Amino acid sequence: MATKLSKIINHWVPENSKVIDFGCGDGSLLKELIETKNILGYGVEINNLKIEKCIEKGVPVIKQDIDKGMNEFKSSNFDLSIMARSIQCLKNPDLALNRMLELSKRCVVTLPNLGYWRCRINLASGKMPVTPELPSSWYETENIHLCTIKDFENLCKKENIKIKDKVFLNKDGSRGGLASIKPNLLAVEGVYLLEK
Amino acid sequence: MKIKTEQIHFSEGLSLESGEKLDSFDLIIESYGELNESKSNAILLCHAFSGNHHAAGEDKELGIGWWDQIVGPKKAIDTEKYYVVCCNNLGGCAGSSGPTTINAATNKVFGKDFPLVTVDDWVNSQKMLMDKLDIPYWHLVAGGSLGGMQALQWSIAYPNKIKKAGIFAAAAKSSTQNIAMNEVARESIRKDKNFHNGDYYDHNVTPKNGIKTARMLGHITYLSEELMDSRFGRKFQDEASKVDQDVDFEVENYLQYKGEKFSEFFDANSYILMTKAMDGYDAGKDRDLEKAMENIKAELLIVGFYSDWLYPAERGKEIQIAGMNNNIKSSFVVFDGEHGHDSFLFHSKEYSNVIKKFIES
Repeated sequence: MATKLSKIINHWVPENSKVIDFGCGDGSLLKELIETKNILGYGVEINNLKIEKCIEKGVPVIKQDIDKGMNEFKSSNFDLSIMARSIQCLKNPDLALNRMLELSKRCVVTLPNLGYWRCRINLASGKMPVTPELPSSWYETENIHLCTIKDFENLCKKENIKIKDKVFLNKDGSRGGLASIKPNLLAVEGVYLLEK
Repeated sequence: MKIKTEQIHFSEGLSLESGEKLDSFDLIIESYGELNESKSNAILLCHAFSGNHHAAGEDKELGIGWWDQIVGPKKAIDTEKYYVVCCNNLGGCAGSSGPTTINAATNKVFGKDFPLVTVDDWVNSQKMLMDKLDIPYWHLVAGGSLGGMQALQWSIAYPNKIKKAGIFAAAAKSSTQNIAMNEVARESIRKDKNFHNGDYYDHNVTPKNGIKTARMLGHITYLSEELMDSRFGRKFQDEASKVDQDVDFEVENYLQYKGEKFSEFFDANSYILMTKAMDGYDAGKDRDLEKAMENIKAELLIVGFYSDWLYPAERGKEIQIAGMNNNIKSSFVVFDGEHGHDSFLFHSKEYSNVIKKFIES
């Protein structure tokens, strides 16, 4: 995970909290939060090689296909759930959002912005976007539910999910600047702190 | 790899969960590697129901150890770095006190009168072993199947004496189906005309046929349907290597062979005792699992295999969830596993890597 993104998320994570990270990858974010915020963190991951990396780091991890359900985590009283750069890979992103907010009072979601101008140029030329942020072709991408910043915020409104905080990232991963002026066109990624 | 075998006597005896008492008992153990100066590198391996203390390396009599693919120099459980101990459980028939040993009170073999032992009793006896070996705590207690249940029980019973638990192809309790399968196995032993109500020693016979049938059923439950298909299919056994003239298919020959071998060395009363211990284990006892696990301090690694239908991966996940609800650092990993329930015995790169990294993290 880019360190800039993890810094933003870090800011929203309370000290000593219990955190679950859906699509935790190699566990870097959780590892960082364990070290800096003394959290009790659990990752959820489907890829065995990434799971191995988590275990190597001492990050507790659960093998699970998020699409097959999140209900079993309900009784665990998490303070925060995180889904970084994964929601667009799910079959039911709307369900997942609501489920996360049942697991924990707050959740952090980050997503690539399909409204970013480079994507729009791609589309305008009649092709599915292939950008440094979304490098895979349409037939091999895991991103089956891409959306724009506007789409995502509309979904939150529809589901009565409050956006407590949000940060927009530029191409180089930095925050603010151009990206926050007109996020739907200029942000590469949106980072949200949500509450029901 | 050097194998050190010891027979250790416990004159102080052991009070059992059943209320009975063993006035004294013996455990036979193997150990590999060396305990380091800070005594921080001890690992306990717990065997499954028909296993024994011979976990790794090659022994003239006992052959290759049951976990030799995982335990040894530079393997997942590295005997060059860790001091690894494995004992034959009480009630077994490989050298620890069990139905085939002499009861000092009567000067006869215990036979069917060997008291009912449980997973809790095994763990308590292993704790006595730990003290006797002057080991302050286990860096890891690990095992598969019934061995995994012991690893879980260790973390519950002695939270300060275990840093990590490896619980593989196991469950917090046997399922109804597990108990049912075991009962068919026990029934085939009991109904063998040579069983003599458990007193076959007096008659100088063993209920071999019963044990053999029990083991044949066992082997079916340890393998996956897919593995049986790919390994044997519907191929016929060739005449020259048939173990019995009644055999047609290769799979029949395999079960006949395995059952026969097993019946030559495994004691029938031990079979009944060990399966009873397996059926009887319930980590949650009369409380729920979550409550039972609340004092665990060890980190847990729970591994399941998709091809295992005897102890399905989901049963392992229940342990992880109960652990997580108690804020215990616990991981749950599932591998395909080619070998059904037996998958925990076999090396695969990903399985070995996860074990190794868990131990060293």
